[in-house]
Amino acid sequence: MLSVKNIDVAYGRAKVLHDISLELEPGRMVFIAGRNGAGKTTFLKSIAGFMKPLAGTITFLNKNITGLPPEKVALLGIRYVFQDKRVFSNLTVRENLELAAYPVKEKISTAVEKVMSIYPKMEKFLNLRAGSLSGGQRQILLIGRALVGDPKLLLIDEPTEGLAAGTINDILNVLSMMKGKVSMIIVEQNLSVVGMLGDKVYIMREGKIVQECSDKTDITDKAKLEKFL
Amino acid sequence: MINTIAYGLTIGAILYIISIGLSLTFGTMRIVNFAHGFVYTIGAYLLISSLPFVRNNFFLGALIAVVAVIPISYVVERFVIRKLYGVSIDYAIIATYAVALIGVDLTKWIWGASPIPLSDPIGMDISIFSVTLPMYRVLIIALSLVIFGALTVFFKKTIIGKIVIASLEDKDAVKSLGINVDKYFSIVFIIGSCLAALGGVLYAPITSVHPYMGMMVLLISFAVVLVGGLGNIKGTFVSAFVLGMVMAITGRFWGPAAETMVFVVMGIVLIFKPVEV
Repeated sequence: MLSVKNIDVAYGRAKVLHDISLELEPGRMVFIAGRNGAGKTTFLKSIAGFMKPLAGTITFLNKNITGLPPEKVALLGIRYVFQDKRVFSNLTVRENLELAAYPVKEKISTAVEKVMSIYPKMEKFLNLRAGSLSGGQRQILLIGRALVGDPKLLLIDEPTEGLAAGTINDILNVLSMMKGKVSMIIVEQNLSVVGMLGDKVYIMREGKIVQECSDKTDITDKAKLEKFL
Repeated sequence: MINTIAYGLTIGAILYIISIGLSLTFGTMRIVNFAHGFVYTIGAYLLISSLPFVRNNFFLGALIAVVAVIPISYVVERFVIRKLYGVSIDYAIIATYAVALIGVDLTKWIWGASPIPLSDPIGMDISIFSVTLPMYRVLIIALSLVIFGALTVFFKKTIIGKIVIASLEDKDAVKSLGINVDKYFSIVFIIGSCLAALGGVLYAPITSVHPYMGMMVLLISFAVVLVGGLGNIKGTFVSAFVLGMVMAITGRFWGPAAETMVFVVMGIVLIFKPVEV
């Protein structure tokens, strides 16, 4: 479904990703782990079209998407969920969903239903400003917003960062519900989350993939994963 | 004093009409658009040129001038502004300032450098609460209120408005939904330019029309935008009327300081509320 082959990415003259390759099959949930500054977010941004690779290719459903602008990548069915819970805080929850529904020509009622199906509690917040939601609710809104238009691949950046344990459970429930229905690449530092949900884990260090684990025993072995970080 | 207040409200209304486009361009695209002053000037000159063709009907001439600005602003946006999205703010200043200077010379070449006076298009007074005011000025104030209301509805109720509001906050997140933000920025830019031209048209009968009129008003408009907040529709409205009043009241007691006082107020506001660019 997604094939990233030998990409190099740089900020100006500083190269931050070196020869990165990744393969993703449909319906799989792949995690990318690594310490701060390892290049995880840059990698997701490169797939989403926010960073243009210097070298290498990114192919999605047999179409070369290397260097396509983010709005075109999104319309092909790849949605990027930013870190830092970046909702449109001046718009209501419903308007956030309306904006997601507009480019894919989906009915707002269908978009709302999609979010309700993964988090029914969101109904009472629909007419509130998204900026008034808690961190966990914002994250769920972002994931729900990304599901509008039935994307084929979600790129989710640090979904549990800065959240309390109870809220992390809500996010885990949402991600579990989506598992198998949509492919996902998730950047996550919380190795317990990785162990619970991951089909495959890539460990990144200094802009390179240093380890790839697809064996469930390795993925659930937090101590072993930590050694690679 | 009543006349001073009426003058302040008129200046405020015109400042609002000019500044709102500047504020939205600044807020969404992070572009300091000096070419805005050129569009303001060209609006006034297009009015003058169109008047003989519409039997000196000011309002029809005004409409023609504002509509004629659409292709001009599209060319500026397409070939100058669009190249500046995402680049350093100083490039935008240099490029749009160049457009403004070319605009001034072009204006001088076509219409000449001498100021052209225009008379009050209505030429009637109106009595409100036993105060007599020129009807034209009351009309300008009323029009600014209508524009404020229309823009508020536009940004709250239409999908284009919501996209712009979301882009003011997080342009990349809007792109990640599959929305071509630049297309909507172009729409905002053209709406803003039409409003600038309308400002020029409306101010023409109050002052005289000359090639540098846009350069003069532009700096005051920047002050309005900075005090009101980048892309803040309500803030720009309040700021325009407050600074318009500051100009009018200062001008009544000490004429030469009228414009300076606007920048003093801006400085004070920026000390307490710095602008994030």
